[in-house]
Amino acid sequence: MTKTFKLRFNRKQLCIPYAAFLILFVICPLLVIVYYAFTNRTGQFTFDNLVLFFTNGNTLGTLLYSLAIAAATTAVCLVIAYPVAYILSRSKFRKKYVLLMLFVLPMWINFTLRITALKEILTAIEANISAYPFLNTVIGMSYDFLPFMILPLYTSLSKLDNSLTEAAADLGANNFTVFMRVILPLSVPGIISGVTMVLLPSMTNYVVLDMLYNSTYIMGSLIGSYFSHFDWNNGSMISLILLIIIFVITLATNRFSDNNETAGRNIL
Amino acid sequence: MKKKRIAAVAAACFMATPVAALVGCAETDETVVLRVSNWEEYIDLGDWDDEEAIDIENPYTGEDSIIGENSVIDDFTEWFNSQDYGFDVRVEYSTFGTNEDLYNQLNLGDVYDLVCPSEYMIMKLLNEGKIQPYSEGFSDQSKETNYYVNNVSRYIDGAEGSIFYENEWNGIAACYMWGTTGFVFNPELVDEDLDDVSACDILINEDYYKSVTVKDNVRDAYFAALSVLFEDRLNEINADTAMSEEQKAEERSDLLNSTDEDTVRAAEELLKKVKENVYSFETDSGKTDMVTGKVKANYQWSGDAVYIMDQADEDETELWYSVPEEGTNLWFDGWVMLKDGIAGNEQKQTAAEAFVNFLSRPDIAVRNMYYIGYTSSIAADEVFNYFDWCYGAVTDEDSEDYYEFDNIYVYDVSYFFGDDSYIYIDMDSLNVEGARLTHDYDDDEYVAGYPVYSGGTISIGRQAFGQYPTQDVIARSVVMRDFGDDLADINQMWINVRCLNVTDININVVIAVTSIVVIMATAIILYRFRFNIFYNRKRK
Repeated sequence: MTKTFKLRFNRKQLCIPYAAFLILFVICPLLVIVYYAFTNRTGQFTFDNLVLFFTNGNTLGTLLYSLAIAAATTAVCLVIAYPVAYILSRSKFRKKYVLLMLFVLPMWINFTLRITALKEILTAIEANISAYPFLNTVIGMSYDFLPFMILPLYTSLSKLDNSLTEAAADLGANNFTVFMRVILPLSVPGIISGVTMVLLPSMTNYVVLDMLYNSTYIMGSLIGSYFSHFDWNNGSMISLILLIIIFVITLATNRFSDNNETAGRNIL
Repeated sequence: MKKKRIAAVAAACFMATPVAALVGCAETDETVVLRVSNWEEYIDLGDWDDEEAIDIENPYTGEDSIIGENSVIDDFTEWFNSQDYGFDVRVEYSTFGTNEDLYNQLNLGDVYDLVCPSEYMIMKLLNEGKIQPYSEGFSDQSKETNYYVNNVSRYIDGAEGSIFYENEWNGIAACYMWGTTGFVFNPELVDEDLDDVSACDILINEDYYKSVTVKDNVRDAYFAALSVLFEDRLNEINADTAMSEEQKAEERSDLLNSTDEDTVRAAEELLKKVKENVYSFETDSGKTDMVTGKVKANYQWSGDAVYIMDQADEDETELWYSVPEEGTNLWFDGWVMLKDGIAGNEQKQTAAEAFVNFLSRPDIAVRNMYYIGYTSSIAADEVFNYFDWCYGAVTDEDSEDYYEFDNIYVYDVSYFFGDDSYIYIDMDSLNVEGARLTHDYDDDEYVAGYPVYSGGTISIGRQAFGQYPTQDVIARSVVMRDFGDDLADINQMWINVRCLNVTDININVVIAVTSIVVIMATAIILYRFRFNIFYNRKRK
């Protein structure tokens, strides 16, 4: 008479733990940030924080300073990582994993420990490391984020079909032309994802900055200082704007990584 | 003993579980949970080696030495539950990193019964009506277990003349640790006559370019900045003989607590110079950098200064501590009960007050001092004996603690421990100016045969001076007040100091960066459209 209740297992239900996690730890905090960003101390709706962000010399200066550090770090990482990834992807099967492992190995060690070690090395080289705060910060961040640049580059370069370069050479291209017209365009998705993975975190990673005695704030430390001074509203607004900047950059770079086949040809 | 304690803790844990509550165990009602929040590494966690035992008789446990076997918190629970209070207590102990963190936690809805913020945060909490005053019984001197009121230094908390009385904190807060701020320095790396390290202007002294650290903390930085700004006036006050001590104290306090617009702007300009000149604003790297010799001097709290000097001694580096001559910040960390936590629960309040009293028990105070290096507010005989045990000169050549020294100084700490409290100390561990040879102590068998000095002024010394500065140092110290309504302004000042302002960016840098970006962009565009531009044909 009554249909026995049958518990039907749906594949979509596997997502429930993740969805719950997402709602609890990503969506809710985000809403709280939005709430604080658009209210003042007494809880009334206001655009003052937004206006302050763009009229305050400190926040804009800090944004530029963070961008400068992030851009320099990314450039250094790219220059170091590209040849490494290229050699790794071309090298013989057996030793290539050992080499790759050597580059990934530092990631197994906590980064504060690595920076502490780096501090001693830099002190030995420069004698007084606090005299070159910007340089040291870039060195520290590059040291920290290098594996994030090598890995995507390596992945995209090892996917590159050898017959393409051979064909180019057969058609009379010299090594430089082969690199410029075949290898580089085809590795653009790797470059883009490497740049995203280094550029964005290095804009806010203030621990490296603190540990290497750079007394100038970057975005991360500025947000932290607003929060520790009980000014949650301005802190939230800065976080929100930073989030939007990151979102825009990710959106802009996504179209390159989505379509691997044609992506390379579009850029150059 | 130990087994019993484990059993007690296990029982307490069990009783707190919801299962026990569901069953309706009668004892659960009688276990009061005391939520305590204290600074990190600010209490003895026990587990000492046997060699660490302090050779002072302990009347409270009946042992002949003071040693921390278990953490003070466990010892408190055991002690409390063995007393006749009619209920048991369990302590939930947590820690905070800065006063601001604690304040944020409280505003986020964390509830604590007993917290230990610094003086200005106590003022702030008090103004916001969050503090539950101590009960009448807490200040009853006739009760033996009221260790706090019976043992606290009259100089800190007590009748007229004490610092707590002046600030109207009697019965509001119970002082835990106190100290000064000054410079830890390595005498081999600074000027020979130590003039530079005895004033805050070392922070902008170009001879010490990138070799001094300051705390990464707006209050300490602001205080140091004001000390530099008003240095001349402060020195005038110190030297003025016509002014009374009260007038001097008042004017010093007004100067070093000024928060008016002009002062804040002047401090901002000064701190920008400091930022360019100092090694770093450090959060916790200062201690190791001092020991490893990366920096020459470090602006520190006296307790940490003592800790750093101890650490350096183990590495055979001799560090000293100086209190700036123009003035210093006299600070306190005090236990206060919070209204939100206590919520009118009398048992809870009793337990909280008992916790403060237990921490004030002289042997516990000594354990905490030994463990964390800070100076307790307790002035009992045991604490004085501990001070003597640590730093007093050993004149007996057969003793294993004896080492060679020439002169003995009578180090007077009567202002803190009460009349006639002095220890004999090796004069080489102090930088005394104008001491005189005293013969009054000739008849003292203990120091017979040594030249004994006393008097003079001291603003530089080693650990002993760091823990209990002399009275003249105290006389020129200032208690820093809550900034009140000017807090936002001063915080903004600090952000201005630390941030790179758009208007400060060097125009050449802007031109250089812009030109590089433009050149690169042009190169890419030319390369991308090379077919259209140079070959006049469409790209295949």
